[in-house]
Amino acid sequence: MTTTRRDLLRFAGGAAFGAFLTPAPWRLITDTALWSENWPGIPRPARGEIRTKFTHCSLCPAGCAVRARCVGQQPVALAGVFGGLCPFGVTAHHLPYHPARLRQGPVKEAAAAVAAAIAKCGPRERVAVLDLRPGRTASWTYRRAMAGVRNGTYIAPAQPPVSVNLANARTVLSLGAPLLDGWCSPANAFAARDRFRLIQAEPVESRTASLADTWLPIRTGSEQALALSLAGALDTRDAAERTGLAERQIVDLARELKENGPALVIDCRMSQNVVALNVDLGSWGRTIVPRPEAPVPAAWKTAAPPAELAAVPDGSIRVLLIDESAPGEYLPWNEIQKKLVSGNPLVVAFACSREGYGQHAQFVLPAAAFPEVTDDLPAAVDAVAPGFRLATPLIPAPDGLVNPVDFVAGVAGLAAPDALRQRADAIHASGKGKLVTYADGKSAAVKEVKADEFWKALNAGACWTGDAAQPGRAPGRDFSPAAEAAVPALTAVAAELAIADSPLMSKVYQESNLRLGPDRVAMHPRSARECGVEDGAKATLETSAGQRRVEVMIDSGICPGVVLVAARPGFEPGQAKVVRI
Amino acid sequence: MKIRGKILFLAGAMTALGAGWAGFPRVIYRSRPQPVDFSHKVHAEKAGSQCEDCHAFRDDGSFAGIPALDKCAGCHAAAMGTTAAEKNFIEQYVTPQREPQWAANARQPENVYFSHAVHVKRGQVKCEQCHGPQGSSDRLPPYQVDRISGYSRDIWGAGGRPGMTMDDCVACHQKQGLEHSCLDCHK
Repeated sequence: MTTTRRDLLRFAGGAAFGAFLTPAPWRLITDTALWSENWPGIPRPARGEIRTKFTHCSLCPAGCAVRARCVGQQPVALAGVFGGLCPFGVTAHHLPYHPARLRQGPVKEAAAAVAAAIAKCGPRERVAVLDLRPGRTASWTYRRAMAGVRNGTYIAPAQPPVSVNLANARTVLSLGAPLLDGWCSPANAFAARDRFRLIQAEPVESRTASLADTWLPIRTGSEQALALSLAGALDTRDAAERTGLAERQIVDLARELKENGPALVIDCRMSQNVVALNVDLGSWGRTIVPRPEAPVPAAWKTAAPPAELAAVPDGSIRVLLIDESAPGEYLPWNEIQKKLVSGNPLVVAFACSREGYGQHAQFVLPAAAFPEVTDDLPAAVDAVAPGFRLATPLIPAPDGLVNPVDFVAGVAGLAAPDALRQRADAIHASGKGKLVTYADGKSAAVKEVKADEFWKALNAGACWTGDAAQPGRAPGRDFSPAAEAAVPALTAVAAELAIADSPLMSKVYQESNLRLGPDRVAMHPRSARECGVEDGAKATLETSAGQRRVEVMIDSGICPGVVLVAARPGFEPGQAKVVRI
Repeated sequence: MKIRGKILFLAGAMTALGAGWAGFPRVIYRSRPQPVDFSHKVHAEKAGSQCEDCHAFRDDGSFAGIPALDKCAGCHAAAMGTTAAEKNFIEQYVTPQREPQWAANARQPENVYFSHAVHVKRGQVKCEQCHGPQGSSDRLPPYQVDRISGYSRDIWGAGGRPGMTMDDCVACHQKQGLEHSCLDCHK
């Protein structure tokens, strides 16, 4: 009897059948899946004893207190101390590992190029520092450094001249300010939210607009006209034409602000007209107060004064050092470019990624990202009392990073190794205010604490709060006329403030439509019809910054005439054109 | 010829069944003894120890798991009995201050978050419910590790004791009418 090929196939068929009745194939499938979880390179959560550390989030100027749950030295979860944290803050411990994170840069080459460029500076040419988040101790160091450099200029975005007190407000009119979306401390805003009626006037039904009691869809750039009209400085009919609102709506709004006080009117920068309108409504000392600042050493007072970009002569900056490591308000690059000298200016950006001004700089030097940084936080726009809080590192910064303060101080020959400690000592010497420690929730008068203990507590996540300033005399009722610019047929508007780039939030748009991605725009159905595009259509978006291929989303929560784009650092709203491909 | 074909098919099936049920476990698992011949029974009966005396919760509520050498050395700095196992333990580990490399049968994948505090303190789940009658065993069973996945064979459960796989967790939560969403365990 010979064994044929058919016999072997029968035996193999039986074996295959039998194998499926054993645990072997099923266990092999499971084991292979489990084995793949342990491949090299797959991150492993730390195990061990859990510790709690306190710090302050430096991702935005709100500077929320953070309770970090750490396993060993590794933070594994962040939470707020007094109230919640925003989604950026909650995921901030992932930031240092973002794939777009900068870790290396040509530091020596940049330093040599800066020194050479300064040596070549003409008599009318400037060396300037652009600080996106003024008011920090680092900002004071920049100012001191620039005071020691010939034609040194310290440039910073205009800061709100006043602070707001949401807790006292009963009616809040927000002229495009993302009140519930990072404009001020989220915990403060939500703690006070139930006590005030919120009216949001802006062209897009933003997250703040959707959470407001009333959304007034107004035309792009008509916020100042509405403020002037509410103050009686602009004819209501004229304001109605500019804003796209009905006259009746403006009249009713003005009445509500007067009758349901204390009222608070805000816009992104608390502009002159908005402050004057608040004064007009009797809100001075109640819902708006002068902006406080923590004491600084007397020797620092000779520092260079802050200058706004508009005040710098065009074509005058030879060397521009941009501190982008503490994200704040991005100035449009077109405006910055006008201020640079025409022949070979040098721009150095200190940043955590190349996404911002790094695209335009000759040198991008890597800076520490939260939670690696040691920095202080200036008083937030909703802080009625001065404060001093430190963002202390939860994890060590990797080698190869540059401290922008050290770099700028080195350029100017300024020795400022412990400016934060000097500032803390000046605050302690003032003897004012109290020290709040989050670990035990206790507060102690500064007078009762020794200077070393004060510094140690600040580094352990405590917060100094000064005495609220007396409101003093209200500023004059001084309105500046709103520019009557021609309204373009279609205006590009950014979706939200680009305060930080959280891996979690930047992933959302890749998996859903919850957030606009860089290749999507949203338009009102009527605007889309006028442009000849429909939902899901491929189109080209043309703005002054260039053009990009995009996919169109139809959203009736956007005013006609507006095309909503994802926020980009330095994006400037302006005329846009959408052309179907 | 038809009968010959059936016999061959059946022979193939039987061979695979034998290999799959009897041979496969011997091949897939590698066995190794625990570093110390430990008797839970002796500790429970003679020393009157409870589970939580050694497998304690830390002050922050997290579970310490298998006790560290310090805990053992608290009683066994010197021999308390005459057994060879204790003598060996003191000589090999306590005196040179060397941590025994215990092999944890209940080790879970890194992406699993399991809180003993929630189950034991809040849910009043008994240790035996998941770990079986370990507390009354006279010697530790050999640690059988899956050569491919690297996890203990014990994870799959045996002898009437439920396993410690995701399916087992979900089944228990369903039975108790408790939450069993992904984020409960996979943070």
